[in-house]
Amino acid sequence: MNLISQHSSILAELNPLEPVISVPLFTISVGGWQIIVSNHMFMVAVAMVVLLVIMTFAARSRGMVPKGLRNLIESVCVYLREEVARPVLGENTDRYIGFIWTIFFFILTLNLLAMIPTEKMIFLITGKKNHFGGPATANIWITGAMAAITFFLTHISGIRKHGLLKYLASLAPPVPWWIMPLIYFLEVFSALVRPFTLAVRLFANMLAGHILIATLLGLILIFKNYGVASASLAFVVFISILELFVAFLQAYIFALLSSLYIGSSITSEH
Amino acid sequence: MAGFESSMLAVLSPGNSGLAIFGGIIGCGMIIIGASIGIGFIGGKAVEAIARQPEVAGRILTTMIIAGALIEGVTFFALVIGFLAVNWTH
Repeated sequence: MNLISQHSSILAELNPLEPVISVPLFTISVGGWQIIVSNHMFMVAVAMVVLLVIMTFAARSRGMVPKGLRNLIESVCVYLREEVARPVLGENTDRYIGFIWTIFFFILTLNLLAMIPTEKMIFLITGKKNHFGGPATANIWITGAMAAITFFLTHISGIRKHGLLKYLASLAPPVPWWIMPLIYFLEVFSALVRPFTLAVRLFANMLAGHILIATLLGLILIFKNYGVASASLAFVVFISILELFVAFLQAYIFALLSSLYIGSSITSEH
Repeated sequence: MAGFESSMLAVLSPGNSGLAIFGGIIGCGMIIIGASIGIGFIGGKAVEAIARQPEVAGRILTTMIIAGALIEGVTFFALVIGFLAVNWTH
């Protein structure tokens, strides 16, 4: 108890919003500009390095029969291509599957890296309070950027395939003329709201999970006895397992909905 | 009773964010009621469908997960707006 009162935040904080915010780490000056690098941007760079290393090792192994890491990555990629992309994209699958794979593995890596408590490990090793790693997908700008890329990809690919006026006309299903303005307005509105729901779904899932874990760990600081600490730790373990499942699920849902939106904009149904 | 009335007047007076917090939290509770009814309905229908035809259990499970995630997306959208209502003091 003395230790907790001296260092009031060893591995938990009283403010549950503390572990999920993005703080500036250092500043790179390029030319005349100062680029402030926050911990979420650093986690994006770490995810890029991790994916480059893992994908290079997975693609490098030879032979017709994949085994080991290549088997894992390849089975996930084949599942995404055959079960997620090909039913909606049809013959255009190979054009857009690189984007779907990238989105899935990038969001999955960011979500899984968020479960590693790097700032607490660094505090345990060096004793300096820092704010090194964090849940990068709990940042509305990062998820918003990915949703914006999906938005521009769907509409630009639709415009390139159909032409601008035919694509704008194909946004609405053929209905009688007297209800067409309402239907068209609803379709345009839903097309504009879709990137926001994509971004907010992933952002709020990750944010809520990490705030919940931080709140449960902060309960130990409030109550300061072993019973609450053991119950809180058991619950935190359970919630962390749920968070691992949600990490995979949210990456899959983002990739699925992206492929659905691309498929519905390049298909020539209506 | 006088203390209750004066504290209610203090909460409801302008310049105090008591009513905003009250509205935001009540809104979040109602959103969760709607979302859990919807996802529970989908879960129940999925279990019924698996009971009728066990060999397509994999596809039904995938569809249930997708529908649950879509409803949860709308729920989190509304929860974020409800959470922002606590901070909208102007």
